[in-house]
Amino acid sequence: MSEKTTIDARGAFCPGPLMELIAALKNLQIGDEVDILSTDKGSVTDIPEWCKKVKHDFLGITEHKGYWSVLVRKAK
Amino acid sequence: MADNGLYILLCSGEHEKIQMAAMMASVAAVSERPVQVFVSMNAIFAFDKGAAAEKRYHGGAFSKLLCSQHAPDAMTLFHQGKELGDLKMWACSMALDIQGWELGRLDEGLFEGALGLTKFLSDAENGQFVTL
Repeated sequence: MSEKTTIDARGAFCPGPLMELIAALKNLQIGDEVDILSTDKGSVTDIPEWCKKVKHDFLGITEHKGYWSVLVRKAK
Repeated sequence: MADNGLYILLCSGEHEKIQMAAMMASVAAVSERPVQVFVSMNAIFAFDKGAAAEKRYHGGAFSKLLCSQHAPDAMTLFHQGKELGDLKMWACSMALDIQGWELGRLDEGLFEGALGLTKFLSDAENGQFVTL
């Protein structure tokens, strides 16, 4: 059964949200999802690019008022 | 033959350059690129074990912003790069000798050891080389 974890990285500057995401993924199982909340504009491009490079599943971005939530699934 | 390694020669003691080195090293390392950082000249002072941030970092207007806005600390980023990726850091043996420092004087857990420039340049020959 996959799990979904939310990481609140709002207020952290680049590359803080990416690092928090990676640290979280390390402790999860394949198929688990992480929803990372970020106020860092760079996360919108950096996290999808990182997922593409290291082959995790980028599931989408939702824009909220003043922050974004980026959903990633651990694929390996 | 080219490899995808990133080799960073960090010489500057400027906070902004140390911060950029830490950002590049940590992000590349967690993006499955092997990274090696060679620390020499004024940059070595920033790695003095136990030094407070205000003693570690010297810089310009952006350095003040990095501190006041609580940007991720460069030392923390280097540690994260090592923990989460393939990042190796080397202290320049000449810089240590001139300063009269032993390796133990540097921030704990960051450095693989002391290294000569010739060996670092040789290792970096086929990778991407960045000087800061």
